[in-house]
Amino acid sequence: MARMKFLCDTERCIECNGCVTACKNEHEIPWGINRRRVVTINDGEKGERSMSVACMHCSDAPCMAVCPVDCFFQTADGVVLHDKDICIGCGYCFYACPFGAPQFPTGGVFGSRGKMDKCTFCAGGPGEANSAEQVRKYGRNRLAEGKLPLCAEMCATKALLAGDGNLVADIFRQRMAYRGAAGLGTGWGVAYDKGLRKGSGLEGKAAGKDE
Amino acid sequence: MSDHLSQSAIPTEPRRHGLRAWVRARLTRPLLALLAFVLIAPLVPYAAMYAERGNVPNPGTALWNEVRQRTGPIDADTQVRGVESNVLINQVGERWREFRSKMLVPAGAWLLLGTLAFLALFRTLRGTIPLEGGRSGQLVPRFSVNQRVVHWFAAILFVFLAVTGLVLLYGRFVLIPLLGPEGFSATAAAAKEGHNLFGPIFPFAVLAMLVLFARGNGFRWIDVKWFFKAGGLLKGHPASSGYYNGGQKSWFWMVLLFGIAISVSGLILDFGVFGQGREVMALAHVVHGGVAVVFIAASLGHIYIGTIGMEGAFESMSHGYVDANWAREHHDLWLAEMEAAGMVGVEPNALEEVKRHDNIDFKGFGSPGTKAVEG
Repeated sequence: MARMKFLCDTERCIECNGCVTACKNEHEIPWGINRRRVVTINDGEKGERSMSVACMHCSDAPCMAVCPVDCFFQTADGVVLHDKDICIGCGYCFYACPFGAPQFPTGGVFGSRGKMDKCTFCAGGPGEANSAEQVRKYGRNRLAEGKLPLCAEMCATKALLAGDGNLVADIFRQRMAYRGAAGLGTGWGVAYDKGLRKGSGLEGKAAGKDE
Repeated sequence: MSDHLSQSAIPTEPRRHGLRAWVRARLTRPLLALLAFVLIAPLVPYAAMYAERGNVPNPGTALWNEVRQRTGPIDADTQVRGVESNVLINQVGERWREFRSKMLVPAGAWLLLGTLAFLALFRTLRGTIPLEGGRSGQLVPRFSVNQRVVHWFAAILFVFLAVTGLVLLYGRFVLIPLLGPEGFSATAAAAKEGHNLFGPIFPFAVLAMLVLFARGNGFRWIDVKWFFKAGGLLKGHPASSGYYNGGQKSWFWMVLLFGIAISVSGLILDFGVFGQGREVMALAHVVHGGVAVVFIAASLGHIYIGTIGMEGAFESMSHGYVDANWAREHHDLWLAEMEAAGMVGVEPNALEEVKRHDNIDFKGFGSPGTKAVEG
Protein backbone atom coordinates (compact mmCIF):
# COMPACT_ATOMS: atom_id res chain seq x y z
CA MET A 1 0.00 0.00 0.00
CA ALA A 2 1.12 3.49 -0.77
CA ARG A 3 1.60 6.06 1.97
CA MET A 4 -0.22 9.10 0.67
CA LYS A 5 1.46 12.47 1.08
CA PHE A 6 1.09 16.06 0.01
CA LEU A 7 4.10 18.20 -0.74
CA CYS A 8 4.12 21.84 -1.80
CA ASP A 9 7.23 23.04 -3.57
CA THR A 10 7.59 26.64 -2.41
CA GLU A 11 9.99 27.40 -5.25
CA ARG A 12 7.23 26.70 -7.72
CA CYS A 13 3.98 27.82 -6.11
CA ILE A 14 2.73 31.01 -7.78
CA GLU A 15 -0.28 31.56 -5.51
CA CYS A 16 -2.81 31.07 -8.29
CA ASN A 17 -5.24 29.40 -5.86
CA GLY A 18 -6.06 26.86 -8.54
CA CYS A 19 -5.82 24.09 -5.94
CA VAL A 20 -8.28 25.90 -3.66
CA THR A 21 -10.73 26.38 -6.50
CA ALA A 22 -10.36 22.83 -7.75
CA CYS A 23 -11.03 21.49 -4.26
CA LYS A 24 -14.05 23.67 -3.64
CA ASN A 25 -15.56 22.78 -6.98
CA GLU A 26 -14.85 19.07 -6.89
CA HIS A 27 -16.36 18.57 -3.46
CA GLU A 28 -18.97 21.34 -3.66
CA ILE A 29 -17.73 22.78 -0.40
CA PRO A 30 -20.00 25.43 1.11
CA TRP A 31 -19.01 29.01 1.80
CA GLY A 32 -16.88 29.53 4.85
CA ILE A 33 -15.12 26.20 4.61
CA ASN A 34 -11.70 25.97 3.02
CA ARG A 35 -10.19 22.54 3.00
CA ARG A 36 -7.15 24.01 1.28
CA ARG A 37 -5.67 27.47 1.33
CA VAL A 38 -2.62 29.20 -0.14
CA VAL A 39 -0.51 31.26 2.24
CA THR A 40 2.00 33.80 0.97
CA ILE A 41 4.90 34.84 3.16
CA ASN A 42 6.50 38.27 2.66
CA ASP A 43 3.98 39.18 -0.02
CA GLY A 44 5.52 41.67 -2.46
CA GLU A 45 8.91 41.61 -0.76
CA LYS A 46 12.20 39.93 -1.39
CA GLY A 47 11.99 36.31 -0.40
CA GLU A 48 8.26 36.02 -1.10
CA ARG A 49 7.11 32.44 -1.03
CA SER A 50 3.71 30.85 -1.33
CA MET A 51 2.58 27.45 -0.25
CA SER A 52 -0.62 25.54 -0.46
CA VAL A 53 -1.65 23.91 2.78
CA ALA A 54 -4.39 21.51 3.83
CA CYS A 55 -4.65 18.45 6.01
CA MET A 56 -1.23 16.78 5.75
CA HIS A 57 -2.55 13.38 6.83
CA CYS A 58 -0.05 13.02 9.65
CA SER A 59 1.19 9.59 10.64
CA ASP A 60 0.76 10.53 14.31
CA ALA A 61 -2.21 12.82 13.81
CA PRO A 62 -2.89 15.20 16.73
CA CYS A 63 -6.56 15.45 15.74
CA MET A 64 -6.95 11.70 16.17
CA ALA A 65 -5.18 11.86 19.52
CA VAL A 66 -7.31 14.57 21.08
CA CYS A 67 -10.75 13.80 19.61
CA PRO A 68 -12.99 13.17 22.64
CA VAL A 69 -15.32 10.92 20.64
CA ASP A 70 -12.57 9.16 18.66
CA CYS A 71 -14.20 9.91 15.30
CA PHE A 72 -10.99 9.81 13.24
CA PHE A 73 -9.49 6.87 11.46
CA GLN A 74 -6.57 6.32 9.14
CA THR A 75 -6.96 4.36 5.94
CA ALA A 76 -4.46 1.77 4.74
CA ASP A 77 -3.09 4.51 2.49
CA GLY A 78 -2.35 6.69 5.51
CA VAL A 79 -5.17 9.09 4.78
CA VAL A 80 -6.70 10.62 7.92
CA LEU A 81 -10.49 10.63 7.66
CA HIS A 82 -13.27 11.26 10.13
CA ASP A 83 -16.86 10.20 10.69
CA LYS A 84 -19.23 13.17 10.66
CA ASP A 85 -21.95 11.06 12.26
CA ILE A 86 -19.72 10.71 15.32
CA CYS A 87 -18.18 14.21 15.37
CA ILE A 88 -19.70 16.51 18.00
CA GLY A 89 -18.06 19.73 16.79
CA CYS A 90 -16.02 20.45 19.91
CA GLY A 91 -13.12 22.03 18.00
CA TYR A 92 -10.34 20.14 19.81
CA CYS A 93 -8.92 18.92 16.50
CA PHE A 94 -8.58 22.54 15.40
CA TYR A 95 -6.65 23.45 18.55
CA ALA A 96 -4.29 20.51 18.11
CA CYS A 97 -3.78 20.56 14.34
CA PRO A 98 -0.46 22.15 13.28
CA PHE A 99 -1.86 23.18 9.89
CA GLY A 100 -5.24 24.67 10.70
CA ALA A 101 -6.86 21.97 8.58
CA PRO A 102 -10.11 21.31 10.48
CA GLN A 103 -12.88 23.65 9.39
CA PHE A 104 -16.27 24.29 10.94
CA PRO A 105 -19.40 25.48 9.14
CA THR A 106 -20.54 27.81 11.91
CA GLY A 107 -18.74 29.81 14.56
CA GLY A 108 -21.52 30.87 16.87
CA VAL A 109 -21.91 31.42 20.58
CA PHE A 110 -22.21 28.63 23.16
CA GLY A 111 -19.47 26.71 21.40
CA SER A 112 -21.59 25.85 18.39
CA ARG A 113 -19.47 24.93 15.40
CA GLY A 114 -21.26 22.22 13.48
CA LYS A 115 -19.61 19.06 12.21
CA MET A 116 -15.95 19.39 11.38
CA ASP A 117 -14.93 19.31 7.73
CA LYS A 118 -11.45 18.87 6.32
CA CYS A 119 -9.42 17.67 3.38
CA THR A 120 -10.02 13.98 2.72
CA PHE A 121 -7.15 13.52 0.26
CA CYS A 122 -10.09 13.03 -2.13
CA ALA A 123 -10.80 9.77 -0.33
CA GLY A 124 -14.32 10.53 0.93
CA GLY A 125 -15.17 9.15 4.33
CA PRO A 126 -16.76 6.11 5.95
CA GLY A 127 -19.44 4.28 4.02
CA GLU A 128 -19.82 3.18 0.43
CA ALA A 129 -17.42 4.94 -1.94
CA ASN A 130 -19.08 7.74 -3.89
CA SER A 131 -22.53 6.90 -2.58
CA ALA A 132 -24.85 9.90 -2.55
CA GLU A 133 -24.49 10.13 1.23
CA GLN A 134 -20.70 9.97 1.20
CA VAL A 135 -20.44 12.59 -1.54
CA ARG A 136 -22.84 14.87 0.31
CA LYS A 137 -20.93 14.66 3.58
CA TYR A 138 -17.32 14.32 2.46
CA GLY A 139 -17.17 15.15 -1.25
CA ARG A 140 -16.01 12.94 -4.06
CA ASN A 141 -13.92 9.84 -3.52
CA ARG A 142 -11.33 10.04 -6.27
CA LEU A 143 -8.96 7.57 -4.67
CA ALA A 144 -11.64 4.90 -4.99
CA GLU A 145 -11.68 5.66 -8.72
CA GLY A 146 -7.92 5.30 -8.96
CA LYS A 147 -7.33 9.05 -9.21
CA LEU A 148 -5.21 11.35 -7.10
CA PRO A 149 -6.36 14.54 -5.30
CA LEU A 150 -7.65 17.11 -7.74
CA CYS A 151 -5.77 20.03 -6.18
CA ALA A 152 -2.44 18.49 -7.12
CA GLU A 153 -3.70 17.21 -10.46
CA MET A 154 -4.78 20.76 -11.34
CA CYS A 155 -1.64 22.51 -10.11
CA ALA A 156 -0.34 24.46 -13.11
CA THR A 157 3.28 24.60 -11.98
CA LYS A 158 3.30 21.17 -10.37
CA ALA A 159 4.22 22.85 -7.13
CA LEU A 160 1.65 20.79 -5.26
CA LEU A 161 2.41 17.10 -5.40
CA ALA A 162 0.15 14.38 -4.06
CA GLY A 163 0.43 10.64 -4.05
CA ASP A 164 2.60 7.87 -2.76
CA GLY A 165 5.10 9.45 -0.41
CA ASN A 166 8.03 7.59 -1.98
CA LEU A 167 7.26 8.85 -5.47
CA VAL A 168 6.59 12.38 -4.23
CA ALA A 169 9.90 12.31 -2.38
CA ASP A 170 11.73 11.05 -5.46
CA ILE A 171 10.32 13.85 -7.60
CA PHE A 172 11.22 16.46 -5.03
CA ARG A 173 14.67 15.00 -4.45
CA GLN A 174 15.35 15.20 -8.17
CA ARG A 175 14.25 18.82 -8.20
CA MET A 176 16.52 19.61 -5.27
CA ALA A 177 19.41 17.96 -7.05
CA TYR A 178 18.77 20.28 -10.04
CA ARG A 179 18.75 23.28 -7.78
CA GLY A 180 21.85 22.57 -5.75
CA ALA A 181 22.45 21.22 -2.33
CA ALA A 182 21.10 22.48 0.97
CA GLY A 183 18.34 24.48 -0.64
CA LEU A 184 20.72 27.30 -1.46
CA GLY A 185 19.79 27.25 -5.11
CA THR A 186 16.36 28.72 -4.65
CA GLY A 187 14.19 31.02 -6.67
CA TRP A 188 12.26 30.52 -9.87
CA GLY A 189 15.34 31.18 -11.94
CA VAL A 190 16.85 28.01 -10.55
CA ALA A 191 13.66 26.06 -10.25
CA TYR A 192 12.85 26.54 -13.92
CA ASP A 193 16.25 27.30 -15.51
CA LYS A 194 16.79 24.71 -18.17
CA GLY A 195 20.39 25.72 -18.73
CA LEU A 196 21.28 24.81 -15.21
CA ARG A 197 19.60 21.47 -15.59
CA LYS A 198 21.49 20.71 -18.77
CA GLY A 199 24.74 21.61 -17.10
CA SER A 200 24.01 19.38 -14.17
CA GLY A 201 23.74 16.36 -16.38
CA LEU A 202 20.41 15.60 -14.82
CA GLU A 203 18.16 16.62 -17.70
CA GLY A 204 14.53 16.06 -16.96
CA LYS A 205 11.78 15.49 -19.44
CA ALA A 206 11.06 19.17 -19.93
CA ALA A 207 14.69 19.96 -20.65
CA GLY A 208 14.93 17.09 -23.11
CA LYS A 209 11.93 18.25 -25.13
CA ASP A 210 13.47 21.62 -25.84
CA GLU A 211 16.46 20.18 -27.56
CA MET B 1 76.81 52.53 19.40
CA SER B 2 77.05 48.81 19.53
CA ASP B 3 79.04 49.15 22.64
CA HIS B 4 76.44 51.16 24.33
CA LEU B 5 73.60 48.90 23.26
CA SER B 6 75.31 45.64 24.11
CA GLN B 7 76.20 46.93 27.49
CA SER B 8 72.78 48.12 28.31
CA ALA B 9 70.96 45.08 26.92
CA ILE B 10 73.19 42.20 27.95
CA PRO B 11 75.94 43.56 30.08
CA THR B 12 77.30 40.10 31.03
CA GLU B 13 77.87 39.09 27.34
CA PRO B 14 81.55 39.15 26.28
CA ARG B 15 82.36 41.93 23.80
CA ARG B 16 83.72 39.69 21.02
CA HIS B 17 80.18 38.33 20.38
CA GLY B 18 78.77 41.84 20.15
CA LEU B 19 77.13 41.73 16.69
CA ARG B 20 75.66 38.24 17.03
CA ALA B 21 74.34 39.03 20.42
CA TRP B 22 72.85 42.24 19.16
CA VAL B 23 71.09 40.41 16.28
CA ARG B 24 69.85 37.71 18.57
CA ALA B 25 68.57 40.13 21.14
CA ARG B 26 67.10 42.83 18.94
CA LEU B 27 66.01 41.31 15.62
CA THR B 28 64.77 37.78 16.26
CA ARG B 29 61.36 38.77 17.45
CA PRO B 30 60.62 41.41 14.81
CA LEU B 31 61.82 39.06 12.10
CA LEU B 32 59.61 36.29 13.33
CA ALA B 33 56.68 38.69 13.51
CA LEU B 34 57.34 39.82 9.93
CA LEU B 35 57.54 36.23 8.76
CA ALA B 36 54.28 35.44 10.45
CA PHE B 37 52.64 38.49 8.92
CA VAL B 38 53.87 37.61 5.42
CA LEU B 39 52.53 34.10 5.78
CA ILE B 40 49.20 34.99 7.38
CA ALA B 41 48.27 38.24 5.63
CA PRO B 42 47.24 36.61 2.33
CA LEU B 43 44.79 34.43 4.26
CA VAL B 44 42.94 37.37 5.75
CA PRO B 45 40.67 38.04 2.75
CA TYR B 46 39.76 34.35 2.70
CA ALA B 47 38.90 34.46 6.37
CA ALA B 48 36.76 37.50 5.69
CA MET B 49 35.07 35.60 2.91
CA TYR B 50 34.35 32.68 5.19
CA ALA B 51 32.97 35.00 7.81
CA GLU B 52 30.84 36.71 5.19
CA ARG B 53 29.63 33.38 3.93
CA GLY B 54 28.45 32.51 7.42
CA ASN B 55 26.19 35.55 7.36
CA VAL B 56 24.44 34.60 4.14
CA PRO B 57 21.16 33.12 5.24
CA ASN B 58 20.08 29.84 3.80
CA PRO B 59 16.82 30.80 2.09
CA GLY B 60 15.28 27.48 3.02
CA THR B 61 16.17 28.01 6.67
CA ALA B 62 14.92 31.58 6.61
CA LEU B 63 11.61 30.47 5.12
CA TRP B 64 11.17 27.65 7.61
CA ASN B 65 12.02 29.97 10.51
CA GLU B 66 9.29 32.29 9.33
CA VAL B 67 6.84 29.46 8.92
CA ARG B 68 7.58 28.32 12.45
CA GLN B 69 7.34 31.96 13.62
CA ARG B 70 10.77 31.76 15.24
CA THR B 71 11.50 35.33 14.21
CA GLY B 72 8.25 36.81 15.47
CA PRO B 73 4.68 36.80 14.24
CA ILE B 74 4.29 35.49 10.72
CA ASP B 75 4.07 38.08 7.95
CA ALA B 76 1.77 36.22 5.63
CA ASP B 77 -1.41 36.66 3.63
CA THR B 78 -4.04 34.37 2.27
CA GLN B 79 -7.25 34.71 0.32
CA VAL B 80 -9.03 32.60 2.91
CA ARG B 81 -10.79 34.71 5.52
CA GLY B 82 -10.76 33.33 9.02
CA VAL B 83 -9.07 33.42 12.40
CA GLU B 84 -5.36 32.70 11.92
CA SER B 85 -5.94 31.46 8.39
CA ASN B 86 -2.59 33.01 7.41
CA VAL B 87 -0.74 30.96 10.03
CA LEU B 88 0.97 27.97 8.45
CA ILE B 89 2.10 26.14 11.59
CA ASN B 90 0.04 26.40 14.75
CA GLN B 91 2.53 27.13 17.51
CA VAL B 92 0.57 25.77 20.47
CA GLY B 93 -1.21 22.72 19.12
CA GLU B 94 1.41 20.14 19.99
CA ARG B 95 2.04 21.56 23.43
CA TRP B 96 -1.70 21.61 24.12
CA ARG B 97 -2.02 18.04 22.91
CA GLU B 98 0.88 16.98 25.16
CA PHE B 99 -0.73 18.71 28.13
CA ARG B 100 -4.12 17.17 27.53
CA SER B 101 -2.96 13.66 26.67
CA LYS B 102 0.01 13.29 29.01
CA MET B 103 -0.87 15.58 31.91
CA LEU B 104 -4.55 16.40 32.24
CA VAL B 105 -6.05 13.02 31.39
CA PRO B 106 -3.72 10.78 33.46
CA ALA B 107 -3.07 13.20 36.33
CA GLY B 108 -6.76 14.08 36.54
CA ALA B 109 -7.68 10.40 36.63
CA TRP B 110 -5.14 9.71 39.38
CA LEU B 111 -6.31 12.71 41.36
CA LEU B 112 -10.01 11.84 41.14
CA LEU B 113 -9.57 8.12 41.70
CA GLY B 114 -7.04 8.84 44.45
CA THR B 115 -9.52 11.13 46.18
CA LEU B 116 -12.22 8.48 45.97
CA ALA B 117 -9.81 5.85 47.28
CA PHE B 118 -8.80 8.15 50.14
CA LEU B 119 -12.43 8.76 51.04
CA ALA B 120 -13.15 5.03 50.91
CA LEU B 121 -10.16 4.38 53.17
CA PHE B 122 -11.23 7.14 55.53
CA ARG B 123 -14.73 5.72 55.67
CA THR B 124 -13.38 2.27 56.39
CA LEU B 125 -11.20 3.51 59.23
CA ARG B 126 -13.38 6.23 60.72
CA GLY B 127 -16.88 5.39 59.50
CA THR B 128 -19.58 8.00 59.78
CA ILE B 129 -18.45 10.62 62.26
CA PRO B 130 -21.20 10.27 64.86
CA LEU B 131 -22.86 12.72 67.18
CA GLU B 132 -20.97 11.68 70.31
CA GLY B 133 -23.55 13.14 72.63
CA GLY B 134 -26.54 11.99 70.61
CA ARG B 135 -29.27 14.36 69.57
CA SER B 136 -30.29 17.01 72.04
CA GLY B 137 -33.51 17.80 70.24
CA GLN B 138 -32.60 21.45 70.43
CA LEU B 139 -32.21 23.19 67.09
CA VAL B 140 -29.88 26.00 66.12
CA PRO B 141 -30.51 27.96 62.91
CA ARG B 142 -27.50 27.71 60.63
CA PHE B 143 -28.21 28.53 56.99
CA SER B 144 -30.86 30.90 55.70
CA VAL B 145 -33.29 30.11 52.91
CA ASN B 146 -31.29 32.30 50.54
CA GLN B 147 -28.07 30.57 51.45
CA ARG B 148 -29.58 27.16 50.93
CA VAL B 149 -31.15 28.12 47.61
CA VAL B 150 -27.89 29.54 46.35
CA HIS B 151 -25.95 26.53 47.65
CA TRP B 152 -28.16 24.04 45.89
CA PHE B 153 -28.33 26.14 42.76
CA ALA B 154 -24.55 26.17 42.63
CA ALA B 155 -24.27 22.54 43.71
CA ILE B 156 -26.65 21.15 41.11
CA LEU B 157 -25.05 23.27 38.40
CA PHE B 158 -21.60 22.20 39.55
CA VAL B 159 -22.42 18.51 39.51
CA PHE B 160 -24.04 18.81 36.09
CA LEU B 161 -21.04 20.67 34.65
CA ALA B 162 -18.61 18.29 36.32
CA VAL B 163 -20.34 15.20 34.95
CA THR B 164 -20.69 16.61 31.42
CA GLY B 165 -17.10 17.83 31.52
CA LEU B 166 -15.82 14.46 32.68
CA VAL B 167 -17.81 12.80 29.89
CA LEU B 168 -15.85 14.88 27.39
CA LEU B 169 -12.52 14.25 29.15
CA TYR B 170 -12.81 10.55 29.92
CA GLY B 171 -15.75 9.29 27.85
CA ARG B 172 -13.46 8.16 25.05
CA PHE B 173 -11.74 5.73 27.40
CA VAL B 174 -14.62 4.78 29.68
CA LEU B 175 -17.90 5.19 27.80
CA ILE B 176 -17.09 4.17 24.21
CA PRO B 177 -16.52 0.55 25.29
CA LEU B 178 -19.88 0.66 27.11
CA LEU B 179 -22.05 2.63 24.69
CA GLY B 180 -20.37 2.08 21.35
CA PRO B 181 -19.19 4.91 19.08
CA GLU B 182 -22.69 6.03 18.01
CA GLY B 183 -24.15 5.82 21.49
CA PHE B 184 -21.27 7.72 22.99
CA SER B 185 -21.38 10.30 20.20
CA ALA B 186 -24.98 11.12 21.11
CA THR B 187 -24.09 11.22 24.80
CA ALA B 188 -21.05 13.40 24.23
CA ALA B 189 -22.97 15.75 21.92
CA ALA B 190 -25.63 16.19 24.60
CA ALA B 191 -22.95 16.65 27.25
CA LYS B 192 -21.17 19.25 25.15
CA GLU B 193 -24.35 21.20 24.40
CA GLY B 194 -25.45 21.04 28.02
CA HIS B 195 -22.04 22.08 29.27
CA ASN B 196 -21.87 24.99 26.83
CA LEU B 197 -25.44 26.17 27.49
CA PHE B 198 -25.49 25.93 31.28
CA GLY B 199 -21.84 26.76 31.86
CA PRO B 200 -22.30 30.51 31.43
CA ILE B 201 -24.74 30.48 34.40
CA PHE B 202 -22.01 29.25 36.74
CA PRO B 203 -20.36 32.67 37.18
CA PHE B 204 -23.65 33.93 38.64
CA ALA B 205 -23.71 31.03 41.08
CA VAL B 206 -20.14 31.86 42.14
CA LEU B 207 -21.08 35.52 42.57
CA ALA B 208 -24.12 34.62 44.66
CA MET B 209 -21.98 32.32 46.80
CA LEU B 210 -19.56 35.16 47.37
CA VAL B 211 -22.35 37.50 48.45
CA LEU B 212 -24.08 35.06 50.79
CA PHE B 213 -21.19 33.06 52.22
CA ALA B 214 -18.26 35.49 52.40
CA ARG B 215 -19.17 36.69 55.86
CA GLY B 216 -17.44 34.63 58.52
CA ASN B 217 -15.04 33.03 56.06
CA GLY B 218 -12.03 35.14 56.93
CA PHE B 219 -9.16 33.05 58.26
CA ARG B 220 -8.30 33.39 61.95
CA TRP B 221 -5.56 31.98 64.17
CA ILE B 222 -8.05 29.43 65.46
CA ASP B 223 -8.25 27.95 61.94
CA VAL B 224 -4.53 27.24 62.01
CA LYS B 225 -4.97 25.41 65.28
CA TRP B 226 -7.92 23.58 63.72
CA PHE B 227 -5.69 22.41 60.88
CA PHE B 228 -3.01 21.24 63.33
CA LYS B 229 -5.64 19.10 64.99
CA ALA B 230 -6.63 17.71 61.55
CA GLY B 231 -10.03 19.30 62.00
CA GLY B 232 -10.96 16.79 64.67
CA LEU B 233 -11.55 14.26 61.91
CA LEU B 234 -9.48 11.74 63.81
CA LYS B 235 -11.01 10.16 66.88
CA GLY B 236 -10.44 11.91 70.15
CA HIS B 237 -8.97 15.07 68.68
CA PRO B 238 -11.66 17.70 69.17
CA ALA B 239 -10.86 20.91 67.35
CA SER B 240 -12.44 24.16 68.35
CA SER B 241 -14.01 26.36 65.70
CA GLY B 242 -16.38 29.23 65.13
CA TYR B 243 -19.17 29.47 62.59
CA TYR B 244 -16.96 28.03 59.88
CA ASN B 245 -13.95 25.84 60.53
CA GLY B 246 -10.65 25.94 58.62
CA GLY B 247 -11.74 23.30 56.16
CA GLN B 248 -14.98 25.06 55.36
CA LYS B 249 -13.17 28.35 54.91
CA SER B 250 -10.65 26.71 52.60
CA TRP B 251 -13.47 25.24 50.57
CA PHE B 252 -15.19 28.63 50.33
CA TRP B 253 -12.07 30.31 48.99
CA MET B 254 -11.44 27.41 46.67
CA VAL B 255 -14.96 27.76 45.29
CA LEU B 256 -14.36 31.46 44.78
CA LEU B 257 -10.92 31.26 43.16
CA PHE B 258 -11.52 28.09 41.14
CA GLY B 259 -14.96 29.41 40.26
CA ILE B 260 -13.55 32.62 38.84
CA ALA B 261 -10.77 30.81 36.94
CA ILE B 262 -13.13 28.23 35.52
CA SER B 263 -15.75 30.85 34.63
CA VAL B 264 -13.36 33.17 32.80
CA SER B 265 -11.65 30.36 30.91
CA GLY B 266 -14.99 28.74 30.17
CA LEU B 267 -16.47 31.91 28.72
CA ILE B 268 -13.40 32.32 26.49
CA LEU B 269 -13.88 28.77 25.22
CA ASP B 270 -17.64 29.02 24.92
CA PHE B 271 -17.84 32.28 23.02
CA GLY B 272 -15.27 31.96 20.26
CA VAL B 273 -16.77 34.86 18.36
CA PHE B 274 -14.34 37.54 19.43
CA GLY B 275 -11.56 36.42 17.12
CA GLN B 276 -9.53 34.72 19.83
CA GLY B 277 -6.94 32.47 18.29
CA ARG B 278 -5.79 28.99 19.13
CA GLU B 279 -3.17 30.18 21.60
CA VAL B 280 -5.81 31.86 23.75
CA MET B 281 -8.19 28.94 23.36
CA ALA B 282 -5.54 26.37 24.25
CA LEU B 283 -4.45 28.36 27.29
CA ALA B 284 -8.06 28.77 28.40
CA HIS B 285 -8.53 25.03 28.01
CA VAL B 286 -5.43 24.29 30.08
CA VAL B 287 -6.73 26.51 32.89
CA HIS B 288 -10.28 25.18 32.55
CA GLY B 289 -9.34 21.49 32.57
CA GLY B 290 -6.60 21.78 35.15
CA VAL B 291 -8.73 23.74 37.60
CA ALA B 292 -11.77 21.57 36.95
CA VAL B 293 -10.20 18.27 38.03
CA VAL B 294 -8.81 19.84 41.22
CA PHE B 295 -12.18 21.51 41.86
CA ILE B 296 -14.04 18.24 41.37
CA ALA B 297 -11.60 16.32 43.57
CA ALA B 298 -12.04 18.88 46.36
CA SER B 299 -15.80 18.81 45.93
CA LEU B 300 -15.79 15.04 46.51
CA GLY B 301 -14.43 15.63 49.99
CA HIS B 302 -17.00 18.37 50.62
CA ILE B 303 -19.85 16.20 49.36
CA TYR B 304 -18.71 13.20 51.41
CA ILE B 305 -18.39 15.02 54.71
CA GLY B 306 -21.62 16.92 54.10
CA THR B 307 -23.71 13.84 53.43
CA ILE B 308 -22.82 10.35 54.63
CA GLY B 309 -19.51 11.28 56.24
CA MET B 310 -20.84 13.09 59.27
CA GLU B 311 -23.99 12.61 61.27
CA GLY B 312 -26.09 15.73 61.56
CA ALA B 313 -24.26 17.77 58.94
CA PHE B 314 -26.58 17.49 55.97
CA GLU B 315 -29.60 19.00 57.73
CA SER B 316 -27.85 22.38 57.95
CA MET B 317 -28.22 22.62 54.17
CA SER B 318 -31.57 20.84 53.91
CA HIS B 319 -33.86 22.52 56.43
CA GLY B 320 -31.28 24.99 57.68
CA TYR B 321 -31.10 23.94 61.35
CA VAL B 322 -28.58 21.81 63.16
CA ASP B 323 -28.82 19.97 66.43
CA ALA B 324 -27.24 21.82 69.34
CA ASN B 325 -25.04 18.82 70.08
CA TRP B 326 -23.74 18.83 66.50
CA ALA B 327 -22.92 22.50 66.90
CA ARG B 328 -21.22 21.79 70.22
CA GLU B 329 -19.06 19.07 68.76
CA HIS B 330 -18.08 20.82 65.54
CA HIS B 331 -18.61 24.56 66.03
CA ASP B 332 -18.35 25.10 69.77
CA LEU B 333 -17.52 28.80 69.70
CA TRP B 334 -20.41 29.50 67.39
CA LEU B 335 -22.79 27.57 69.65
CA ALA B 336 -21.66 29.61 72.62
CA GLU B 337 -22.53 32.78 70.73
CA MET B 338 -25.87 31.40 69.70
CA GLU B 339 -26.63 30.40 73.28
CA ALA B 340 -25.74 33.87 74.46
CA ALA B 341 -28.10 35.28 71.88
CA GLY B 342 -30.85 32.93 72.94
CA MET B 343 -31.00 31.26 69.55
CA VAL B 344 -30.71 27.68 70.75
CA GLY B 345 -33.54 25.28 71.35
CA VAL B 346 -36.37 26.92 69.50
CA GLU B 347 -38.87 25.23 67.25
CA PRO B 348 -38.12 26.04 63.63
CA ASN B 349 -41.50 27.49 62.84
CA ALA B 350 -41.83 29.26 66.16
CA LEU B 351 -38.44 30.83 65.60
CA GLU B 352 -39.47 32.07 62.19
CA GLU B 353 -42.59 33.59 63.72
CA VAL B 354 -40.77 35.20 66.62
CA LYS B 355 -38.02 36.69 64.52
CA ARG B 356 -40.40 37.93 61.91
CA HIS B 357 -42.12 40.00 64.57
CA ASP B 358 -39.19 41.03 66.68
CA ASN B 359 -36.71 41.55 63.84
CA ILE B 360 -33.78 40.70 66.07
CA ASP B 361 -30.42 41.61 64.59
CA PHE B 362 -27.85 39.13 65.76
CA LYS B 363 -24.15 39.90 65.64
CA GLY B 364 -22.44 36.63 66.20
CA PHE B 365 -19.00 35.12 65.82
CA GLY B 366 -18.80 36.19 62.23
CA SER B 367 -22.08 34.41 61.99
CA PRO B 368 -24.61 35.02 59.28
CA GLY B 369 -26.87 32.58 61.07
CA THR B 370 -29.52 35.14 61.85
CA LYS B 371 -30.35 35.49 58.21
CA ALA B 372 -32.19 32.24 58.73
CA VAL B 373 -34.85 34.09 60.55
CA GLU B 374 -35.35 37.11 58.40
CA GLY B 375 -38.19 35.37 56.71
